[in-house]
Amino acid sequence: MSQSQPANRREDLRLITGRGRYTADVNLTGQLHAAFLRADRAHAQIVSINAEPALRQPGVVAVFTGADAIDAGYTQFPNLMSFAGRNGAQILKPERPVLATTAVRYVGETIAMVVAESALAAQDAIDAIEIDYRDLSAVVTVTDALAAGAPQLHENVPGNLCFEWETGDARAVEEAFAKAAHITRLKVLTTRVAPSPLEPRGSLVSYDAASESYDIYTPSQGMMMLRKQFAMLTGVPEEKLRVHTNDVGGSFGQRSGVYPEHGALMIAAKKLGRPVKWVGSRADGFMSDAHGRGIEIAGQLALDSAGEFIAARYDFLCDMGAYLTPTGSISHLRNPATLMTGVYKIPALYGAFKVVLTNTVPIAAYRGAGRPDIAYAIERLVDRAADELKIERSELRRRNFIPADAFPYKTPTVGVYEPSDFAGCLEQALTTADWRGFEARRVAAKGRGKLRGIGLSTIIEATGAGVFPKDQVAIEVDAAGKLTVYTVSMSSGQGHETTFTSVVADTLGLPHAMVTLRECDPARELIGNHTGGSRSMAGVGSVCKVAADKLIEQAKPLAAEELELEPSQVDYAGGEFKSRDGEKTISFVQLAQKLAGRDPHPMNTLAEATVGSTWPNGCHIAEVEIDPDTGVTEIASYVAVDDCGTVINHQIVEGQVHGGVTQGAGQMFQEEVIYDRASGQLLTGSFMDYGMPRAGLVRDINVGDHPVPSKLNAIGAKGVGESGCTASLPALANAMTDALRPAGVGHLDMPYTPSKVWHSIQAAKINPSK
Amino acid sequence: MTKIELTVNGTKHSREVEDRTLLVDVLRDQLRLTGTHIGCDTSQCGCCTVHIDGRAVKSCTVLAVQADGTDIVTIEGLSNGDQLHPVQQSFTDCHALQCGFCTPGMIMAISAFLKDNPQPTDEEIYHGLEGNLCRCTGYINIVKAVKRSAELMK
Amino acid sequence: MFQFNYVKAKSLSDAQALIAANPDAKLLSGGMTLIPTLKQRLAQPSHLVDIGGLSELRGIEVKDGQLVIGAATRHYEVASSAVVKKALPALASLAYLIGDPQVRNRGTLGGSIANNDPAADYPAAVLALDATIVTNKREIAAGNFFQGMFATALEEGEIVVRVRFNIPPRAAYEKFAHPASGYAMAGVFVADGAAGLRVAVTGAASGVFRWSEAEQALTKKLSPEVLEGLPLDLTNMNEDIHATREYRANLARVMTKRALVKMLAGK
Repeated sequence: MSQSQPANRREDLRLITGRGRYTADVNLTGQLHAAFLRADRAHAQIVSINAEPALRQPGVVAVFTGADAIDAGYTQFPNLMSFAGRNGAQILKPERPVLATTAVRYVGETIAMVVAESALAAQDAIDAIEIDYRDLSAVVTVTDALAAGAPQLHENVPGNLCFEWETGDARAVEEAFAKAAHITRLKVLTTRVAPSPLEPRGSLVSYDAASESYDIYTPSQGMMMLRKQFAMLTGVPEEKLRVHTNDVGGSFGQRSGVYPEHGALMIAAKKLGRPVKWVGSRADGFMSDAHGRGIEIAGQLALDSAGEFIAARYDFLCDMGAYLTPTGSISHLRNPATLMTGVYKIPALYGAFKVVLTNTVPIAAYRGAGRPDIAYAIERLVDRAADELKIERSELRRRNFIPADAFPYKTPTVGVYEPSDFAGCLEQALTTADWRGFEARRVAAKGRGKLRGIGLSTIIEATGAGVFPKDQVAIEVDAAGKLTVYTVSMSSGQGHETTFTSVVADTLGLPHAMVTLRECDPARELIGNHTGGSRSMAGVGSVCKVAADKLIEQAKPLAAEELELEPSQVDYAGGEFKSRDGEKTISFVQLAQKLAGRDPHPMNTLAEATVGSTWPNGCHIAEVEIDPDTGVTEIASYVAVDDCGTVINHQIVEGQVHGGVTQGAGQMFQEEVIYDRASGQLLTGSFMDYGMPRAGLVRDINVGDHPVPSKLNAIGAKGVGESGCTASLPALANAMTDALRPAGVGHLDMPYTPSKVWHSIQAAKINPSK
Repeated sequence: MTKIELTVNGTKHSREVEDRTLLVDVLRDQLRLTGTHIGCDTSQCGCCTVHIDGRAVKSCTVLAVQADGTDIVTIEGLSNGDQLHPVQQSFTDCHALQCGFCTPGMIMAISAFLKDNPQPTDEEIYHGLEGNLCRCTGYINIVKAVKRSAELMK
Repeated sequence: MFQFNYVKAKSLSDAQALIAANPDAKLLSGGMTLIPTLKQRLAQPSHLVDIGGLSELRGIEVKDGQLVIGAATRHYEVASSAVVKKALPALASLAYLIGDPQVRNRGTLGGSIANNDPAADYPAAVLALDATIVTNKREIAAGNFFQGMFATALEEGEIVVRVRFNIPPRAAYEKFAHPASGYAMAGVFVADGAAGLRVAVTGAASGVFRWSEAEQALTKKLSPEVLEGLPLDLTNMNEDIHATREYRANLARVMTKRALVKMLAGK
C-alpha cells in the first residue's frame, strides 16, 4: 500500500468556513430547552425540593426532579469493570439517579431540570426552585476518604472503598526485594485534571411515540458504545435508540460515557412529546464533565548489584469521584496493570489497587487513561534509581530494556508485547536531542542565571482492545463508481475522513476524492468500537484495508464475467481489473457503473476483524529552563520519537503528538482541578482559574517516526493518540528534576507552577535535598 | 425588547431582541450563522470571535444592542466566494486544526491580528493568540499557519 | 443574565440623568468585566447605561504637558496611539499587555479604573504617574482614587470622563500575567518624573499600592540591587490557589527590578 501524504485534510474545508455541524448547531422543529439545577455544595441530604415556583415562571413547561428519575428507573449507571477484586468481590456500584433524590455528593450534581420555551427562560426559572438541604461533611481527597471516621458517601460502599484488587506475584516480589542490592522508592501523584474539549457538552433528544424510539443528538466517540450505555441506563432496547453525532469538538475520553443529562432529557422528551435541547456552559462543564487522572502511586523498584531491575511494586490509590463512570474504574486499573513493567524486563511485579470515592466530579478515561500515570511512576522511579546509583539515565534504561530477541514478550502481568525497538527509539531521540552535548547548554544557561535540565522517558502503551468483540466496516459503491465507507467509530479531530478514506483509496488504487467516509450513521448499524485508547487507526483503519481487499476479491468474479474470463484469471491493480496477460481490462469505475442497476450494488462490501491491543512505544526528551527569580519554566526543546507502527499520514500523527504533548505540558505546569479541602467547593471552575495551555507553552516539537510495523492488524498501525500525554509527563518531570537538582530541590509533585517552583528553590536554600 | 440593525457579512438584518441577548446568540440562533461557536462563559476561549467594524471581538461578551448599527463579519463571510481567505487556506495547509471547534474564532482573531501586525515575530504571535484557546493542536501548527498567512498576504 | 433595560446615552449629561433616575442602573463602557459578571448572575442592574460611544469620553491628546485620555478610549487605541507612544511609551506598552487582543478592542480606560480590579493593569500607571481622574463632578488625585479591592472614590452617579497623566522623562511597566486569566499577578509601573520616583504595584495585593520603601531606596540610589532585601509588607498581599503571598511579594520585587532595568535602558 502506498503511503500517501495528502496535503490537506478532507474535513478541513467545512470546518474553516464555519460549516461544521456540532451538537449545539442542531435544532429540531418544536424543540424545548432545558437547564439544570446543580448542587451548590459538596455533600448534603436533600430534605425537600419545591419545584412549584419554577413552574410558575414565564415560558416554563415542566420541571423534573429525582422523583421522575426514580419513576423512570434511571438510577444505575453502566460500569464496564470486567473482573472481580480481592477475594472475588465485585466492584460496589453506588446508585446514581440521573437527578439526585435523597442526597448530593459533589458540587455540580444534577438535581432538577427545568424545561421551557427558551434557554433563557429555563435558566431564569432555575433560581426559583426551592431546596432544603441538611449539610454533611465532605471529603475531596482519597486519603481523607479512607481515614477512620471519614464521612460516608454511599451506604453500600463502606469506608468509601468500592474496590480492591491486586495483580502480579506478591511473593516473588517480596523475595526479590529481600535480596535486592538497592531499592528505590517514590510516591507520585498524577493530579486530577479537567479534559475540557472546547465544545461544551450538550444534547438534543426527541421521542417518537409511535415507534417508542428516541433520537439522541450528542457529541460522542462512537455511537455503538454510547447507545449500549443509554440502553443500560434506561432499559430502552438498543434498537429503539438512534444516536446522531456529526462534528465533535474534541473528546479525549470525556465523551466516552453516558451522562445524567442524557437520561434526564430522555425522560423529558418522552413525557412532553417535544424535542428537548440542552447546551451546557463551561461552568457546567467544570463541575459535571468527567475529570481525568487523580491517581496516587507509591512505587518501589528493586535492583541487583549490576543495576538490573529485579522487581517492582506499586500501590495505587485511584480517586473515582462521587460515583462510578462507565470507563473510569476499569481504565484506571487495567491499563496501569498491563503496563507495570514498562519497556523493561522486570521479572517480578506486584500491584495493589484501591478504588476510592470522594465528594468530587466522577472520573473517567482521559487521554491515556492510566497509561500516563503508570509511565510517570516507572520513569520517575528509573530516573531516581539512576541518580541514587550514579548510573547515567539512558544507560540504566538501555541495560534493562526488553531485548529485541525477547518478542513477543509475555509480561509478568497480563500483556504480550509485540516486536518493538526500544533501544533504537532511544538512540534516535538521544541523537536528535543532542543528549550528550547537554552539559554545555546547562553551563551556558547558568551563565544567564537560569537552571536548565534535560529528561527523557521511554514508554509503552497498550491500545484499547475495545468493548465490542470486533470492528465492522461497510463500503458502498454508487452508480458513478464512487465509494462511501461506513464506520461506527467517531473522529473528534483525528482526521478519519482523511486517513480511513486514504487507506481504502490507496488499496483500490483510486483517487482519494472518490472515497467518502460516513461515521456513525444511525441508519447503518455496524458492530464496532468507539474512538478511544489510541485504537482507531489500528482497530478501524485496518478494517478499512480489510474491507477494500475484500471488495477487490468480491468484484473479481464480476469483472471476470464482464471480461469473459475465469475469475482466477483476473488481477487487480491501479484501479483496474485485468486479465493475467494484460490484454483485457475494465476499470473499477467502469465495472461499478456497469453493475449500477442491481440493488444492492454487488460490489458493496461488509468486512470485519477483531483487533486487540497494539503496543505503541517511544522515547521523548524534554529540555527545560527555569528562571529561579520567578519560578517560571520554559520548555527549551522537545523531541518525540514514536513507534506508532506504520504511519498512514505523518502530518496527522505529528498533530496528535503536538496535541498530546501539550496536554501533558498543561498538566505538568499549570492545569489542576482544585477543591477546597474543608468545604468541598470547586475552586477551579472556569478558564479564569484553570490554566489551559496557550500558544507558546510548547513552542516546537521535533517529531520523529520510528516505525516497527505491527503484525496484529492489516495495516501495521500501532496507534498514536495518547503517546504524547503518556511520554511527556515523565519526560518533563525528569527534566524539571534534573534542572532543580543543582538548586538542592528533590522530587516535586505536578504541576510545576511558578509559585511552587520558586518556593521549593527558596526552601532548598535553607534545607537542600540530599 | 429593542430593535437593532446589523450588517452581517454584507447583508443588513433587522431584529427585535431582548436587551440581555448576546451578539453571539443573535448570530447563531436568529441568523443561523452557527460557525461562530461558544466555548466558555468567561471570555477566555475566543471561539466566538467575530469582527465588528473590522476589529476582532468576542461576541459572547458583547450585547446585541451594543452592536446596533455595526458592520459584522463572521467566519461564514470571511472568504471571497470560493476563494478562501489566506488564513483559512493556511489553516488547512499547515494542519492547524483538528476538531475544528476553536478554528473559526482562531481564524477570525488571526485575520484581524495580521491587519495590525502584518509581519509578526513569534513572541508577537503568542501574544496575539492570547485570546484564543485550542485543546487539540498544541498551537504549534497554528503558529505556523499565522506565519504562512503573513507570507500569503504580503 | 437577569433582565435589564439597555439605554444608549446620547451625551454625558444624558448618562448622568439616566443614572440619577435609576438608582440600580450601572454604567456600561467596554463591558469586558461587566458583561461576564452579568452572565454569571453576580449582578442584577435595572438598567445598563451605555457610555462607550460618547465622543465626550474619547480621544487622546497632549495638553499643557499632560497626556489626556478619554475614559471610553479603548485599550488598543492607547496601545497603538502615536501620541501615547511618543509621550509616554510605557503607558502604550501597558495597554498592549491588558487582557488579550479581543479584550483590548473593547475594554476602556475608564471602565478599568472605575472597576478597580486589584489585578487590573491601568491602576498601576494611574498611581505611579500621579494622574488626575476627571469626572463629571470633580477632579480626583490618583492617590485618593483607589480605595482597595473594587473600591474607588467615585460616588453614586459619578462618571469618569478622562484621565490626565503626568509625563515623566522616563517610565516602564512590567507584568507577570496569571497563566489562566491573563490578569496581573504582579504588575509594576515605575516612573521617574518631576514628583520623584514612583513604584506602583498592582495584582499582588488587595489593591494597587505604592511601594514606599522602594521609592525611598531608589531615590537615594537608582539601581536595581537596592531592592534586594527591601521590606515589602505581606499583610495585604493576595493569597489563593495560584500563589502564596510570599510568592506575590517576590514577583512584585522581581517585576520592580525588571521595570527599573527597562526604564534605565530607555526601552
